[in-house]
Amino acid sequence: MSLAKAAQQEHRRDLRIPLAAILVVVALAAPFIGSRYVTHSLIIALIFMLPAHGLNLLVGYTGLLSLAQAAFFGIGAYTAGLLAVNYGTPFYMNAAAAGLLAGACALPLGVPALRLRATSFVMCTLGFVIIGQAIAKNWISVTRGDMGLSAIPKPHFALGPLSFTVSGTTSFYYMALAIGALSTLAVWMIVRSPAGRNMIAIRENETLAESLGVPTWRYKLIVFIISAIFAGVGGSLYVHYLTVVSPLTFQMYYSTTMLIIVLGGGAGTISGVVFGSLLFVGLTEALRITPELRMVAYGLCLLVLVFWFKKGFAPVINRFWDTIGGTK
Amino acid sequence: MTGLPILEIKKISKSYGAVKAVNNVSLHVDRGEIAGLIGPNGSGKSTFFDCSTGLQKPDSGTVKLDGQDITGWSLNRIAREGRMLRSFQKTVVFKALDVEENLVIAGQMFTFPSLLSTFGIGRMSKQRISGLRDRARELIKMAGLWDVRHQPAGNLSGGQQKLIQFASMLMPEPKIILLDEPMAGINPKIIERVIETILYANKSLGVSFLVIEHNIDVVTSICQRVVVLDQGRKLVEGLPHDIVQDQRVREAYLGG
Repeated sequence: MSLAKAAQQEHRRDLRIPLAAILVVVALAAPFIGSRYVTHSLIIALIFMLPAHGLNLLVGYTGLLSLAQAAFFGIGAYTAGLLAVNYGTPFYMNAAAAGLLAGACALPLGVPALRLRATSFVMCTLGFVIIGQAIAKNWISVTRGDMGLSAIPKPHFALGPLSFTVSGTTSFYYMALAIGALSTLAVWMIVRSPAGRNMIAIRENETLAESLGVPTWRYKLIVFIISAIFAGVGGSLYVHYLTVVSPLTFQMYYSTTMLIIVLGGGAGTISGVVFGSLLFVGLTEALRITPELRMVAYGLCLLVLVFWFKKGFAPVINRFWDTIGGTK
Repeated sequence: MTGLPILEIKKISKSYGAVKAVNNVSLHVDRGEIAGLIGPNGSGKSTFFDCSTGLQKPDSGTVKLDGQDITGWSLNRIAREGRMLRSFQKTVVFKALDVEENLVIAGQMFTFPSLLSTFGIGRMSKQRISGLRDRARELIKMAGLWDVRHQPAGNLSGGQQKLIQFASMLMPEPKIILLDEPMAGINPKIIERVIETILYANKSLGVSFLVIEHNIDVVTSICQRVVVLDQGRKLVEGLPHDIVQDQRVREAYLGG
Protein backbone atom coordinates (compact mmCIF):
# COMPACT_ATOMS: atom_id res chain seq x y z
CA MET A 1 0.00 0.00 0.00
CA SER A 2 2.61 2.51 1.08
CA LEU A 3 4.85 1.25 -1.67
CA ALA A 4 2.12 1.86 -4.20
CA LYS A 5 1.61 5.31 -2.79
CA ALA A 6 5.30 6.02 -3.00
CA ALA A 7 5.35 4.72 -6.55
CA GLN A 8 2.42 6.96 -7.37
CA GLN A 9 4.22 9.95 -5.90
CA GLU A 10 7.33 9.04 -7.79
CA HIS A 11 5.22 8.80 -10.87
CA ARG A 12 3.69 12.23 -10.23
CA ARG A 13 7.02 13.84 -9.63
CA ASP A 14 8.26 12.56 -12.98
CA LEU A 15 5.50 14.22 -14.96
CA ARG A 16 7.22 17.58 -15.40
CA ILE A 17 10.16 16.24 -17.36
CA PRO A 18 8.07 14.16 -19.77
CA LEU A 19 5.75 17.11 -20.35
CA ALA A 20 8.69 19.40 -21.04
CA ALA A 21 10.07 16.78 -23.42
CA ILE A 22 6.70 16.52 -25.17
CA LEU A 23 6.54 20.31 -25.53
CA VAL A 24 10.02 20.35 -27.06
CA VAL A 25 9.08 17.56 -29.47
CA VAL A 26 5.84 19.33 -30.39
CA ALA A 27 7.76 22.56 -30.96
CA LEU A 28 10.24 20.76 -33.16
CA ALA A 29 7.66 18.73 -35.06
CA ALA A 30 5.05 21.50 -35.37
CA PRO A 31 5.58 22.18 -39.11
CA PHE A 32 4.85 18.52 -39.82
CA ILE A 33 1.89 18.25 -37.46
CA GLY A 34 -0.14 21.27 -38.46
CA SER A 35 -0.90 22.91 -41.75
CA ARG A 36 1.30 25.54 -43.35
CA TYR A 37 -1.01 28.14 -41.95
CA VAL A 38 -0.41 26.89 -38.42
CA THR A 39 3.32 27.09 -39.03
CA HIS A 40 2.90 30.63 -40.32
CA SER A 41 0.92 31.59 -37.20
CA LEU A 42 3.59 30.11 -34.97
CA ILE A 43 6.28 32.07 -36.80
CA ILE A 44 4.41 35.32 -36.22
CA ALA A 45 3.99 34.37 -32.56
CA LEU A 46 7.72 33.67 -32.23
CA ILE A 47 8.57 36.98 -33.91
CA PHE A 48 6.35 38.94 -31.53
CA MET A 49 7.74 37.04 -28.59
CA LEU A 50 11.01 38.97 -28.93
CA PRO A 51 9.67 42.50 -28.41
CA ALA A 52 7.35 41.05 -25.76
CA HIS A 53 10.30 39.58 -23.87
CA GLY A 54 11.99 42.98 -23.98
CA LEU A 55 8.82 44.74 -22.87
CA ASN A 56 8.42 42.26 -20.03
CA LEU A 57 11.83 43.25 -18.66
CA LEU A 58 10.63 46.83 -18.68
CA VAL A 59 6.99 46.46 -17.58
CA GLY A 60 7.01 43.19 -15.68
CA TYR A 61 10.34 43.33 -13.90
CA THR A 62 11.26 47.02 -13.65
CA GLY A 63 7.71 48.38 -13.45
CA LEU A 64 7.93 50.90 -16.29
CA LEU A 65 4.98 51.04 -18.66
CA SER A 66 6.11 51.76 -22.21
CA LEU A 67 4.23 51.99 -25.49
CA ALA A 68 7.38 52.59 -27.54
CA GLN A 69 8.04 48.96 -28.36
CA ALA A 70 6.50 49.22 -31.86
CA ALA A 71 8.85 52.11 -32.62
CA PHE A 72 11.92 50.01 -31.86
CA PHE A 73 10.35 47.09 -33.70
CA GLY A 74 9.92 49.37 -36.72
CA ILE A 75 13.45 50.75 -36.45
CA GLY A 76 14.75 47.19 -36.44
CA ALA A 77 12.56 46.22 -39.39
CA TYR A 78 13.67 49.18 -41.50
CA THR A 79 17.34 48.76 -40.55
CA ALA A 80 17.38 45.10 -41.55
CA GLY A 81 15.26 45.73 -44.65
CA LEU A 82 17.42 48.59 -45.93
CA LEU A 83 20.63 46.64 -45.34
CA ALA A 84 19.27 43.56 -47.11
CA VAL A 85 17.86 45.50 -50.07
CA ASN A 86 20.76 47.91 -50.58
CA TYR A 87 23.77 45.85 -49.58
CA GLY A 88 22.63 42.24 -49.60
CA THR A 89 24.22 41.63 -46.21
CA PRO A 90 23.68 38.27 -44.48
CA PHE A 91 20.82 37.91 -42.02
CA TYR A 92 22.83 37.74 -38.82
CA MET A 93 24.45 41.07 -39.66
CA ASN A 94 21.07 42.65 -40.37
CA ALA A 95 19.64 41.30 -37.14
CA ALA A 96 22.62 42.53 -35.13
CA ALA A 97 22.48 45.95 -36.79
CA ALA A 98 18.73 46.13 -36.18
CA GLY A 99 19.19 45.36 -32.48
CA LEU A 100 22.08 47.77 -32.10
CA LEU A 101 20.40 50.65 -33.88
CA ALA A 102 17.17 50.17 -31.95
CA GLY A 103 19.22 50.13 -28.73
CA ALA A 104 21.18 53.19 -29.85
CA CYS A 105 17.92 55.07 -30.51
CA ALA A 106 16.64 54.10 -27.07
CA LEU A 107 19.53 55.89 -25.40
CA PRO A 108 18.75 59.49 -26.47
CA LEU A 109 15.02 58.82 -26.10
CA GLY A 110 15.35 57.25 -22.68
CA VAL A 111 17.60 59.90 -21.15
CA PRO A 112 14.95 62.64 -21.13
CA ALA A 113 11.89 60.37 -21.04
CA LEU A 114 12.94 58.36 -17.97
CA ARG A 115 13.19 61.56 -15.96
CA LEU A 116 9.43 61.99 -16.30
CA ARG A 117 6.76 60.67 -13.99
CA ALA A 118 5.12 57.37 -14.86
CA THR A 119 2.13 58.77 -16.75
CA SER A 120 4.16 61.35 -18.65
CA PHE A 121 6.63 58.62 -19.54
CA VAL A 122 3.84 56.56 -21.10
CA MET A 123 2.69 59.54 -23.17
CA CYS A 124 6.26 60.20 -24.21
CA THR A 125 6.78 56.62 -25.40
CA LEU A 126 3.53 56.91 -27.36
CA GLY A 127 5.13 59.90 -29.07
CA PHE A 128 8.10 57.78 -30.20
CA VAL A 129 5.81 55.54 -32.24
CA ILE A 130 4.12 58.50 -33.91
CA ILE A 131 7.45 60.19 -34.68
CA GLY A 132 8.85 56.91 -36.00
CA GLN A 133 5.93 56.55 -38.36
CA ALA A 134 6.28 60.16 -39.52
CA ILE A 135 9.95 59.62 -40.31
CA ALA A 136 9.28 56.36 -42.15
CA LYS A 137 6.57 58.13 -44.18
CA ASN A 138 8.45 61.30 -45.01
CA TRP A 139 12.11 60.35 -45.39
CA ILE A 140 11.27 59.21 -48.87
CA SER A 141 14.80 59.11 -50.31
CA VAL A 142 15.67 56.35 -47.84
CA THR A 143 12.44 54.68 -46.80
CA ARG A 144 10.47 55.18 -50.02
CA GLY A 145 7.69 56.71 -47.92
CA ASP A 146 4.26 55.11 -47.95
CA MET A 147 5.33 52.62 -50.60
CA GLY A 148 7.63 51.03 -48.07
CA LEU A 149 10.36 48.55 -48.87
CA SER A 150 9.58 45.45 -50.82
CA ALA A 151 11.31 42.44 -52.33
CA ILE A 152 13.43 42.06 -49.22
CA PRO A 153 15.39 38.85 -49.69
CA LYS A 154 14.71 35.85 -47.49
CA PRO A 155 17.35 35.55 -44.76
CA HIS A 156 20.60 34.13 -45.96
CA PHE A 157 23.69 33.17 -44.06
CA ALA A 158 27.14 33.45 -45.55
CA LEU A 159 30.31 32.15 -43.99
CA GLY A 160 33.20 32.22 -46.41
CA PRO A 161 32.32 29.99 -49.35
CA LEU A 162 29.32 28.52 -47.55
CA SER A 163 25.99 30.19 -48.00
CA PHE A 164 22.51 29.18 -47.09
CA THR A 165 19.15 30.80 -47.68
CA VAL A 166 16.19 30.25 -45.39
CA SER A 167 13.53 30.20 -48.06
CA GLY A 168 10.67 27.92 -47.01
CA THR A 169 8.15 28.42 -44.24
CA THR A 170 9.39 25.33 -42.42
CA SER A 171 13.03 26.37 -42.38
CA PHE A 172 12.05 29.89 -41.34
CA TYR A 173 10.08 28.37 -38.50
CA TYR A 174 13.17 26.60 -37.20
CA MET A 175 15.22 29.76 -37.43
CA ALA A 176 12.56 31.73 -35.55
CA LEU A 177 12.31 28.91 -32.99
CA ALA A 178 16.06 28.97 -32.40
CA ILE A 179 16.10 32.76 -32.03
CA GLY A 180 13.04 32.63 -29.78
CA ALA A 181 14.70 30.01 -27.57
CA LEU A 182 17.90 32.03 -27.39
CA SER A 183 16.05 35.21 -26.47
CA THR A 184 14.11 33.35 -23.78
CA LEU A 185 17.40 32.08 -22.40
CA ALA A 186 18.81 35.63 -22.48
CA VAL A 187 15.85 36.98 -20.50
CA TRP A 188 16.17 34.14 -18.03
CA MET A 189 19.83 34.99 -17.49
CA ILE A 190 19.10 38.69 -17.01
CA VAL A 191 16.28 37.99 -14.58
CA ARG A 192 18.34 35.50 -12.59
CA SER A 193 21.29 37.88 -12.26
CA PRO A 194 21.67 40.30 -9.34
CA ALA A 195 20.61 43.02 -11.77
CA GLY A 196 17.30 41.20 -12.19
CA ARG A 197 16.82 41.38 -8.42
CA ASN A 198 17.59 45.10 -8.51
CA MET A 199 15.03 45.56 -11.29
CA ILE A 200 12.39 43.91 -9.12
CA ALA A 201 13.47 46.13 -6.22
CA ILE A 202 12.90 49.19 -8.42
CA ARG A 203 9.47 47.91 -9.39
CA GLU A 204 8.52 47.19 -5.78
CA ASN A 205 9.71 50.47 -4.25
CA GLU A 206 11.96 52.84 -6.13
CA THR A 207 12.83 55.15 -3.23
CA LEU A 208 13.72 52.23 -0.99
CA ALA A 209 15.92 50.71 -3.72
CA GLU A 210 17.58 54.08 -4.14
CA SER A 211 18.20 54.37 -0.40
CA LEU A 212 19.95 50.99 -0.49
CA GLY A 213 22.44 52.22 -3.06
CA VAL A 214 20.72 51.01 -6.25
CA PRO A 215 21.29 53.57 -9.03
CA THR A 216 17.68 53.27 -10.19
CA TRP A 217 17.87 55.74 -13.03
CA ARG A 218 20.81 54.04 -14.69
CA TYR A 219 19.16 50.64 -14.34
CA LYS A 220 15.98 51.93 -15.92
CA LEU A 221 17.97 53.34 -18.83
CA ILE A 222 19.87 50.09 -19.35
CA VAL A 223 16.69 48.01 -19.24
CA PHE A 224 15.01 50.45 -21.64
CA ILE A 225 17.91 49.92 -24.06
CA ILE A 226 17.89 46.14 -23.63
CA SER A 227 14.15 46.02 -24.28
CA ALA A 228 14.67 48.08 -27.45
CA ILE A 229 17.38 45.67 -28.63
CA PHE A 230 14.96 42.76 -28.26
CA ALA A 231 12.36 44.70 -30.26
CA GLY A 232 14.90 45.60 -32.95
CA VAL A 233 15.95 42.00 -33.46
CA GLY A 234 12.28 41.02 -33.58
CA GLY A 235 11.75 43.67 -36.26
CA SER A 236 14.56 42.21 -38.37
CA LEU A 237 12.94 38.79 -38.22
CA TYR A 238 9.61 40.31 -39.13
CA VAL A 239 10.89 42.10 -42.23
CA HIS A 240 12.80 39.09 -43.48
CA TYR A 241 9.77 36.91 -43.05
CA LEU A 242 7.20 39.15 -44.71
CA THR A 243 9.75 40.53 -47.24
CA VAL A 244 7.97 43.90 -47.11
CA VAL A 245 7.88 46.73 -44.60
CA SER A 246 5.81 49.91 -44.56
CA PRO A 247 5.37 52.86 -42.19
CA LEU A 248 2.43 50.92 -40.77
CA THR A 249 4.96 48.85 -38.81
CA PHE A 250 5.11 51.87 -36.52
CA GLN A 251 1.60 51.52 -35.21
CA MET A 252 0.05 51.57 -31.79
CA TYR A 253 -1.73 48.30 -32.56
CA TYR A 254 1.63 46.54 -32.40
CA SER A 255 2.63 48.24 -29.16
CA THR A 256 -0.66 47.27 -27.57
CA THR A 257 -0.38 43.71 -28.90
CA MET A 258 3.03 43.40 -27.26
CA LEU A 259 1.63 44.86 -24.06
CA ILE A 260 -1.30 42.45 -24.11
CA ILE A 261 1.12 39.54 -24.53
CA VAL A 262 3.02 40.67 -21.45
CA LEU A 263 0.08 41.62 -19.23
CA GLY A 264 -2.14 38.80 -20.45
CA GLY A 265 0.55 36.18 -20.28
CA GLY A 266 1.73 37.35 -16.88
CA ALA A 267 3.95 40.37 -16.33
CA GLY A 268 7.19 39.54 -14.57
CA THR A 269 7.18 35.91 -15.66
CA ILE A 270 8.97 34.29 -18.59
CA SER A 271 6.55 31.42 -19.13
CA GLY A 272 3.72 33.95 -19.25
CA VAL A 273 5.29 35.80 -22.16
CA VAL A 274 5.93 32.59 -24.11
CA PHE A 275 2.36 31.48 -23.51
CA GLY A 276 0.99 34.96 -24.20
CA SER A 277 2.79 35.15 -27.55
CA LEU A 278 1.32 31.85 -28.63
CA LEU A 279 -2.14 32.72 -27.44
CA PHE A 280 -2.55 36.33 -28.49
CA VAL A 281 -0.53 36.40 -31.70
CA GLY A 282 -0.82 32.78 -32.77
CA LEU A 283 -4.54 32.82 -32.11
CA THR A 284 -5.32 36.09 -33.85
CA GLU A 285 -3.14 35.07 -36.74
CA ALA A 286 -4.94 31.73 -36.96
CA LEU A 287 -8.29 33.51 -36.73
CA ARG A 288 -7.49 35.60 -39.81
CA ILE A 289 -9.36 32.89 -41.71
CA THR A 290 -12.58 34.26 -40.24
CA PRO A 291 -11.99 38.01 -40.15
CA GLU A 292 -15.49 38.76 -38.79
CA LEU A 293 -14.98 36.53 -35.77
CA ARG A 294 -11.38 37.44 -35.22
CA MET A 295 -11.73 40.68 -33.36
CA VAL A 296 -14.69 39.32 -31.41
CA ALA A 297 -12.63 36.38 -30.22
CA TYR A 298 -9.77 38.70 -29.41
CA GLY A 299 -12.04 40.99 -27.44
CA LEU A 300 -13.52 38.04 -25.58
CA CYS A 301 -10.05 36.89 -24.65
CA LEU A 302 -9.29 40.29 -23.17
CA LEU A 303 -12.55 40.31 -21.22
CA VAL A 304 -11.87 36.86 -19.79
CA LEU A 305 -8.43 38.10 -18.88
CA VAL A 306 -9.57 41.22 -17.11
CA PHE A 307 -12.25 39.44 -15.12
CA TRP A 308 -10.71 36.10 -14.24
CA PHE A 309 -6.98 36.33 -14.76
CA LYS A 310 -5.95 39.65 -13.32
CA LYS A 311 -2.32 38.61 -13.10
CA GLY A 312 -2.32 36.96 -16.50
CA PHE A 313 -2.10 33.26 -17.16
CA ALA A 314 1.26 32.75 -15.48
CA PRO A 315 -0.17 31.90 -12.03
CA VAL A 316 -2.38 29.24 -13.67
CA ILE A 317 0.59 27.82 -15.56
CA ASN A 318 2.67 27.78 -12.39
CA ARG A 319 -0.06 26.06 -10.41
CA PHE A 320 -0.46 23.46 -13.13
CA TRP A 321 3.30 22.95 -13.22
CA ASP A 322 3.41 22.47 -9.43
CA THR A 323 0.47 20.09 -9.55
CA ILE A 324 1.96 17.77 -12.11
CA GLY A 325 5.23 18.05 -10.26
CA GLY A 326 3.52 16.63 -7.17
CA THR A 327 4.42 19.60 -5.03
CA LYS A 328 0.84 20.10 -3.94
CA MET B 1 41.26 57.39 15.73
CA THR B 2 40.91 60.79 14.19
CA GLY B 3 38.98 63.37 16.09
CA LEU B 4 37.05 64.23 12.96
CA PRO B 5 33.30 63.69 13.24
CA ILE B 6 31.88 60.98 10.99
CA LEU B 7 29.14 63.33 9.82
CA GLU B 8 29.46 67.09 9.76
CA ILE B 9 26.60 69.19 8.45
CA LYS B 10 27.10 72.93 8.18
CA LYS B 11 24.47 75.63 7.80
CA ILE B 12 21.88 73.67 5.88
CA SER B 13 18.85 75.66 4.69
CA LYS B 14 15.83 74.56 2.71
CA SER B 15 12.76 76.61 1.82
CA TYR B 16 9.47 75.73 0.21
CA GLY B 17 8.26 79.02 -1.22
CA ALA B 18 8.15 81.44 1.69
CA VAL B 19 8.36 78.72 4.32
CA LYS B 20 11.82 78.10 5.68
CA ALA B 21 11.57 74.43 6.58
CA VAL B 22 15.20 74.25 7.66
CA ASN B 23 17.02 77.43 8.54
CA ASN B 24 20.79 77.44 8.87
CA VAL B 25 21.10 74.25 10.88
CA SER B 26 24.49 72.78 11.70
CA LEU B 27 24.97 69.41 13.34
CA HIS B 28 27.64 66.80 13.71
CA VAL B 29 27.81 63.17 14.74
CA ASP B 30 31.02 61.90 16.28
CA ARG B 31 32.54 58.54 15.41
CA GLY B 32 30.78 55.81 17.35
CA GLU B 33 28.19 58.17 18.76
CA ILE B 34 24.44 57.81 18.92
CA ALA B 35 23.05 61.31 18.52
CA GLY B 36 19.40 62.24 18.82
CA LEU B 37 17.40 64.78 16.87
CA ILE B 38 14.14 65.86 18.44
CA GLY B 39 11.63 68.65 18.07
CA PRO B 40 7.90 69.23 17.77
CA ASN B 41 6.01 68.24 14.62
CA GLY B 42 6.88 70.43 11.69
CA SER B 43 10.15 71.58 13.18
CA GLY B 44 12.02 70.45 10.07
CA LYS B 45 13.58 67.21 11.28
CA SER B 46 12.57 65.12 8.30
CA THR B 47 13.46 67.81 5.78
CA PHE B 48 16.82 68.07 7.47
CA PHE B 49 17.27 64.30 7.07
CA ASP B 50 16.22 64.43 3.42
CA CYS B 51 18.71 67.22 2.71
CA SER B 52 21.51 65.37 4.46
CA THR B 53 20.95 62.07 2.66
CA GLY B 54 20.44 63.32 -0.89
CA LEU B 55 16.70 62.73 -1.15
CA GLN B 56 16.33 66.51 -1.47
CA LYS B 57 18.85 69.14 -2.41
CA PRO B 58 19.49 71.80 0.25
CA ASP B 59 19.35 75.46 -0.89
CA SER B 60 22.63 76.09 0.87
CA GLY B 61 25.03 74.46 3.30
CA THR B 62 27.43 71.56 3.14
CA VAL B 63 27.39 67.91 4.19
CA LYS B 64 30.66 66.20 4.99
CA LEU B 65 30.81 62.46 5.51
CA ASP B 66 34.01 61.04 6.93
CA GLY B 67 35.87 64.15 5.81
CA GLN B 68 34.51 64.01 2.26
CA ASP B 69 32.20 66.69 0.87
CA ILE B 70 29.07 64.85 -0.30
CA THR B 71 26.80 67.88 -0.79
CA GLY B 72 24.66 67.36 -3.88
CA TRP B 73 25.26 63.60 -4.15
CA SER B 74 22.22 61.52 -4.96
CA LEU B 75 20.55 59.29 -2.38
CA ASN B 76 21.87 56.11 -4.02
CA ARG B 77 25.42 57.42 -4.28
CA ILE B 78 25.52 58.51 -0.66
CA ALA B 79 24.37 55.03 0.34
CA ARG B 80 26.65 53.17 -2.07
CA GLU B 81 29.85 55.17 -1.90
CA GLY B 82 29.43 56.95 1.41
CA ARG B 83 27.92 54.02 3.29
CA MET B 84 25.53 56.35 5.02
CA LEU B 85 22.17 54.62 5.15
CA ARG B 86 18.81 56.00 6.15
CA SER B 87 15.42 54.68 7.12
CA PHE B 88 12.04 56.18 6.37
CA GLN B 89 9.33 57.22 8.75
CA LYS B 90 6.75 54.89 7.30
CA THR B 91 8.19 51.42 7.55
CA VAL B 92 9.56 50.54 4.17
CA VAL B 93 10.35 47.03 3.03
CA PHE B 94 9.93 45.25 -0.29
CA LYS B 95 6.54 43.85 0.68
CA ALA B 96 6.20 41.25 -2.06
CA LEU B 97 9.65 39.78 -1.47
CA ASP B 98 10.59 37.45 1.34
CA VAL B 99 12.73 38.56 4.26
CA GLU B 100 15.93 37.01 2.97
CA GLU B 101 15.51 38.59 -0.49
CA ASN B 102 15.00 41.96 1.19
CA LEU B 103 18.38 41.68 2.86
CA VAL B 104 20.19 40.28 -0.18
CA ILE B 105 18.99 43.23 -2.28
CA ALA B 106 20.18 45.60 0.43
CA GLY B 107 23.69 44.20 0.16
CA GLN B 108 24.01 43.78 -3.59
CA MET B 109 25.29 47.18 -4.62
CA PHE B 110 28.09 46.91 -2.10
CA THR B 111 29.52 43.59 -3.26
CA PHE B 112 29.44 44.13 -7.01
CA PRO B 113 32.19 46.34 -8.37
CA SER B 114 30.12 47.91 -11.14
CA LEU B 115 26.58 48.18 -12.38
CA LEU B 116 27.32 46.07 -15.45
CA SER B 117 28.84 43.31 -13.33
CA THR B 118 25.44 42.84 -11.70
CA PHE B 119 24.17 41.44 -15.00
CA GLY B 120 26.59 38.52 -14.84
CA ILE B 121 25.51 35.12 -13.61
CA GLY B 122 28.97 33.52 -13.63
CA ARG B 123 30.76 31.82 -10.74
CA MET B 124 32.03 35.11 -9.31
CA SER B 125 28.52 36.42 -9.19
CA LYS B 126 27.24 33.26 -7.52
CA GLN B 127 29.97 33.44 -4.88
CA ARG B 128 29.17 37.06 -4.14
CA ILE B 129 25.48 36.29 -3.76
CA SER B 130 26.07 33.29 -1.52
CA GLY B 131 28.32 35.47 0.63
CA LEU B 132 25.49 37.97 0.86
CA ARG B 133 23.06 35.21 1.74
CA ASP B 134 25.27 34.07 4.62
CA ARG B 135 25.50 37.59 5.96
CA ALA B 136 21.76 38.06 5.50
CA ARG B 137 21.07 34.90 7.51
CA GLU B 138 23.35 36.07 10.32
CA LEU B 139 21.54 39.39 10.54
CA ILE B 140 18.15 37.68 10.29
CA LYS B 141 19.08 35.54 13.28
CA MET B 142 20.29 38.58 15.18
CA ALA B 143 17.04 40.40 14.49
CA GLY B 144 15.04 37.37 15.63
CA LEU B 145 13.37 36.85 12.25
CA TRP B 146 14.74 33.37 11.53
CA ASP B 147 11.35 31.62 11.59
CA VAL B 148 9.78 34.01 9.13
CA ARG B 149 12.72 34.42 6.75
CA HIS B 150 10.92 32.86 3.79
CA GLN B 151 7.71 34.82 4.25
CA PRO B 152 6.84 37.88 2.16
CA ALA B 153 7.84 40.91 4.23
CA GLY B 154 4.42 42.47 3.67
CA ASN B 155 2.76 39.65 5.64
CA LEU B 156 4.64 40.49 8.81
CA SER B 157 3.73 42.96 11.55
CA GLY B 158 4.80 46.59 11.48
CA GLY B 159 7.38 45.94 14.16
CA GLN B 160 8.87 43.00 12.31
CA GLN B 161 9.04 45.12 9.16
CA LYS B 162 10.99 47.72 11.12
CA LEU B 163 13.42 45.01 12.12
CA ILE B 164 13.77 43.90 8.49
CA GLN B 165 14.44 47.47 7.44
CA PHE B 166 16.97 47.79 10.20
CA ALA B 167 18.74 44.54 9.34
CA SER B 168 18.76 45.60 5.66
CA MET B 169 20.62 48.77 6.54
CA LEU B 170 23.27 46.72 8.32
CA MET B 171 23.94 44.57 5.22
CA PRO B 172 26.41 46.98 3.60
CA GLU B 173 28.53 47.48 6.76
CA PRO B 174 27.50 51.12 7.06
CA LYS B 175 29.54 53.86 8.69
CA ILE B 176 26.50 55.71 9.93
CA ILE B 177 22.76 55.17 9.92
CA LEU B 178 20.12 57.88 10.07
CA LEU B 179 16.90 56.62 11.61
CA ASP B 180 13.67 58.53 11.06
CA GLU B 181 11.36 57.68 13.99
CA PRO B 182 12.31 54.02 14.34
CA MET B 183 9.85 53.45 17.20
CA ALA B 184 6.76 55.06 15.71
CA GLY B 185 3.72 52.80 15.84
CA ILE B 186 5.30 49.62 17.12
CA ASN B 187 4.52 47.75 20.30
CA PRO B 188 6.75 47.99 23.41
CA LYS B 189 8.11 44.47 23.03
CA ILE B 190 9.53 45.26 19.62
CA ILE B 191 10.79 48.63 20.86
CA GLU B 192 13.08 46.76 23.21
CA ARG B 193 14.30 44.59 20.38
CA VAL B 194 14.98 47.58 18.15
CA ILE B 195 16.91 49.26 20.98
CA GLU B 196 18.93 46.08 21.43
CA THR B 197 19.82 45.93 17.75
CA ILE B 198 20.76 49.61 17.65
CA LEU B 199 23.06 49.15 20.64
CA TYR B 200 24.50 45.96 19.15
CA ALA B 201 25.22 47.69 15.84
CA ASN B 202 26.76 50.60 17.69
CA LYS B 203 28.93 48.64 20.15
CA SER B 204 29.87 45.58 18.12
CA LEU B 205 29.83 46.85 14.55
CA GLY B 206 30.96 50.40 15.26
CA VAL B 207 28.06 52.06 13.48
CA SER B 208 27.31 55.68 14.38
CA PHE B 209 23.71 56.85 14.55
CA LEU B 210 21.60 59.93 14.18
CA VAL B 211 18.09 59.22 15.40
CA ILE B 212 14.90 61.21 15.06
CA GLU B 213 12.57 59.99 17.78
CA HIS B 214 9.51 61.22 19.61
CA ASN B 215 9.66 58.66 22.39
CA ILE B 216 11.69 60.65 24.93
CA ASP B 217 12.44 57.60 27.08
CA VAL B 218 14.12 55.93 24.12
CA VAL B 219 16.09 59.08 23.36
CA THR B 220 17.38 59.44 26.90
CA SER B 221 18.28 55.77 27.14
CA ILE B 222 20.27 55.40 23.92
CA CYS B 223 21.47 58.86 22.84
CA GLN B 224 24.68 60.39 24.10
CA ARG B 225 23.81 63.84 22.84
CA VAL B 226 20.60 65.46 21.67
CA VAL B 227 19.91 68.30 19.26
CA VAL B 228 16.56 70.06 19.40
CA LEU B 229 14.99 71.69 16.37
CA ASP B 230 12.16 74.19 16.53
CA GLN B 231 10.58 75.96 13.56
CA GLY B 232 13.46 75.03 11.30
CA ARG B 233 16.16 76.31 13.63
CA LYS B 234 18.48 74.62 16.06
CA LEU B 235 17.13 75.49 19.50
CA VAL B 236 19.57 73.81 21.82
CA GLU B 237 22.03 70.94 22.00
CA GLY B 238 23.26 68.96 24.96
CA LEU B 239 23.11 65.87 27.15
CA PRO B 240 19.73 64.09 27.10
CA HIS B 241 19.02 64.79 30.78
CA ASP B 242 19.77 68.49 30.51
CA ILE B 243 17.63 68.73 27.38
CA VAL B 244 14.62 67.19 29.08
CA GLN B 245 14.85 69.78 31.84
CA ASP B 246 15.54 72.71 29.52
CA GLN B 247 12.91 75.43 29.77
CA ARG B 248 13.17 76.44 26.09
CA VAL B 249 12.59 72.85 24.98
CA ARG B 250 9.52 72.54 27.19
CA GLU B 251 8.13 75.77 25.78
CA ALA B 252 8.78 74.64 22.23
CA TYR B 253 6.81 71.44 22.80
CA LEU B 254 4.03 73.00 24.82
CA GLY B 255 3.86 76.51 23.42
CA GLY B 256 3.42 75.40 19.79
